[in-house]
Amino acid sequence: MKPIMLHGHERSITQIKFNREGDLLFSASKDPKPNVWYSINGERLGTFDGHSGTVWSLDVKWDTSLFVTGSADQTMRIWDVETGVSLECLEQKTSVRGVSFSYSGTMIAYTTDKMMGQNSELIIIDVREPNDIDGTPIMRTQVTPNNSKALSVLWGPLDEFVVTGHEDGSVIKWDMRTGKIMEIGQEHTKQIKDMQLSHDGMMLITASKDTTARLWDITDLEALKQYKTDRPVNSAAITPLVDKYPHVVMGGGQEAMDVTTTSSKIGKFDARFFHLVFEEEFARVKGHFGPINSICFHPNGRGYASGGEDGYIRVHVFDDSYYQFRFDF
Amino acid sequence: MSVAEEVKSSWADEVEEVEGGSLPPPVEKSDGNSKTITEYSFNEEGKKIKIISHYKIEKHRVARQIAKRKTWIKYGLSKNDKPGPNPATTITAEDVFMHFLSNKEEEQIDQEDLKKKLLDQQKGQVKCRLCKEDHWTKQCPYKHKLEPLRTSLYGEEKVEDEPQQGTPGVPPADKTKYVPPSMRDGASKKGESMMSARGRDETATVRVTNLSENTREQDLQELFRPFGDISRIFLAKDKNTGQSKGFAFINFKKREHAAIAIQFLNGFGYDHLILSVEWAKPSGTQ
Repeated sequence: MKPIMLHGHERSITQIKFNREGDLLFSASKDPKPNVWYSINGERLGTFDGHSGTVWSLDVKWDTSLFVTGSADQTMRIWDVETGVSLECLEQKTSVRGVSFSYSGTMIAYTTDKMMGQNSELIIIDVREPNDIDGTPIMRTQVTPNNSKALSVLWGPLDEFVVTGHEDGSVIKWDMRTGKIMEIGQEHTKQIKDMQLSHDGMMLITASKDTTARLWDITDLEALKQYKTDRPVNSAAITPLVDKYPHVVMGGGQEAMDVTTTSSKIGKFDARFFHLVFEEEFARVKGHFGPINSICFHPNGRGYASGGEDGYIRVHVFDDSYYQFRFDF
Repeated sequence: MSVAEEVKSSWADEVEEVEGGSLPPPVEKSDGNSKTITEYSFNEEGKKIKIISHYKIEKHRVARQIAKRKTWIKYGLSKNDKPGPNPATTITAEDVFMHFLSNKEEEQIDQEDLKKKLLDQQKGQVKCRLCKEDHWTKQCPYKHKLEPLRTSLYGEEKVEDEPQQGTPGVPPADKTKYVPPSMRDGASKKGESMMSARGRDETATVRVTNLSENTREQDLQELFRPFGDISRIFLAKDKNTGQSKGFAFINFKKREHAAIAIQFLNGFGYDHLILSVEWAKPSGTQ
C-alpha cells in the first residue's frame, strides 16, 4: 500500500469521517479548522474557518450538503460543504463533545460537557431548513448527575433512538421522543473513546480506554463480541464489506501523555485488524508516529483512513493481499 | 568606468546573475495518461531548485453527484491552491505493508515444536536426585514427600555427581578448617589471575553469533541450560542502547556439554534468525 499522507492540521486529529459515497474525507483536530479532502488523490477541497477552539467531533449529512462540528469553544456550527461557509453557529453553555446527523439528515443529536456548574446534556435539534435553524431543542435531557458525562453520540435505525457513550464506559440508549433511558450497556470499565455504526446500522462498535473494543447489537444493546488489545483503543470501525471480509480495524496506542517518555518502537501505534467473529487479530499496519485517534473504513470497504495524535491523516487503499488473505479456523 | 565595472564582475558571477534573475518557465509534458511538470524555484538559501513532479492520470466513472463535487471551487486555506494536490498538505508516504500475523504465529509454533524436540532428545541429561525422573530435583513433584524421607535415610549427604561440590582428596572433615581462596573448590590451584581463568574457561566455551537485537542473557540461559551447567554467559551489548550486538559466549562447565550444544543449536532458528554456534577461539589468537 502507498498511503497518502494529509497534513492540513497543526495539532492532533480528533475525528475523521468519510461522506456517504466516500469521495470526500472530513477531518477535525485540536486546531480550530476542520478540513475536507478528496479521498481519491488527497487534494484538499478546503477548510472550515470559524471555530476558535478544539473541534471535538464532526458529522456530515447523507447528501454531503451539510456538515456539523462540535467544538470546545462552546459552539456547534453547521456548514455548507460546497462553499465552506458557516450557515449557523449555535452557542452552548459548555463545549460540544459529540455530534451526529440522523440517518434522514433532518435532525442533529449532540452532547455537551459537564463543566462550570452545567450538567452534561443530550440535545436534539431540527435541521430541516438549513438556512433557518434556530437551535431550539426538540428534545433535551440531562445526562449528569445520574450518569457520567456523555462523549459520543449515534443514531439508531429509523431515527427512533440515540445511543451515547460515556466517560465511565457505559453505553446508554435514549428514547428520542421522551428523553428517557431505554437501555444501559455496562461492559466497558473505562471511558468510551469512539463509537461507530456498521454499514447497515444494526451493529455498533465501541472503543474504550480499557484496552478493548466491543461489538453491540444496537437494538437491545447486547454485547456481542470483545476485541482485546494491550493498549487503550481510541477508535474502532467495522468494514462495510462485512459479509465477505468480516473485519474490524482498531486504532490506539499508549496515552498521549506517555508518548514523549517512551520510544516509538514500543508505542504500538499500528492499526490492528481483527476478525469480527473470532475476535482474533490477523494483521497490522504501521505508519503513524503517535497514537491513532480516529480510524474509519472507506464506504466501499477497499481502504481505510486513520488520523493520529501526530496530526497526520493517512489514507490507505488495500493491496490484493488483503483480499487474498484467508483467516484459517 | 566601464573598465572598472568589468573588473568587478567576474565571468562566473555574471552567469549566476543572469540565471538567478529569471527562472525558466515551468514545463509541462503530457504523455498519454501520465504528466510531468518541471518547475524551478528558489529555496530559503536563495539557491535555485528544480522540482520534477510526475502525475499519473486516472479516469474513473463515478456517480453524478461525485463528479459534480469534483468541480467545486476550493475554499478556506486551500483557496489559492492550484488544481490537483498541493504538495504542502498532501504527501505520498512510503510504501507500507499489511503485516499478517497468522504466519508468524505458525512459525512460533514450529519453533516451539523444534525446541520441544531438542529438549526431548536431551531427556537423559537431566535426572532428579529424588525420583530419578528426567526433571530437576527442585521441580520434583514428589519433593515434599521424598525429600524428608531421603534426608532421614541418608543424612545430609552431598551428591556425588556434582564434582565442583567436593574436591577429591580433601576429606570432609577438613571443611571446618580454613581453606585459602586459591585452594578452594572451583579455583585453579595456581592462584587466581585473569589469564588463567580465561584459559580454563575456554576449553568449554561456545560462541553464538547471529543473535537478534532483542536477545537477553535470560533467553540464552533458557536456550543453553538444557545442555548442561553453564558457568558464565557473556552477551555483547551496545554501551549506549543496551541492545545486543548479536553475539555471545557461553561457558559450559563441561566440554562435552558444549559439544552437544554446538551439535544441536548450530543452524537452529531462533527469533527469526538462524544461529551460528561454534567453538570459541582462544582469546590469544584474537
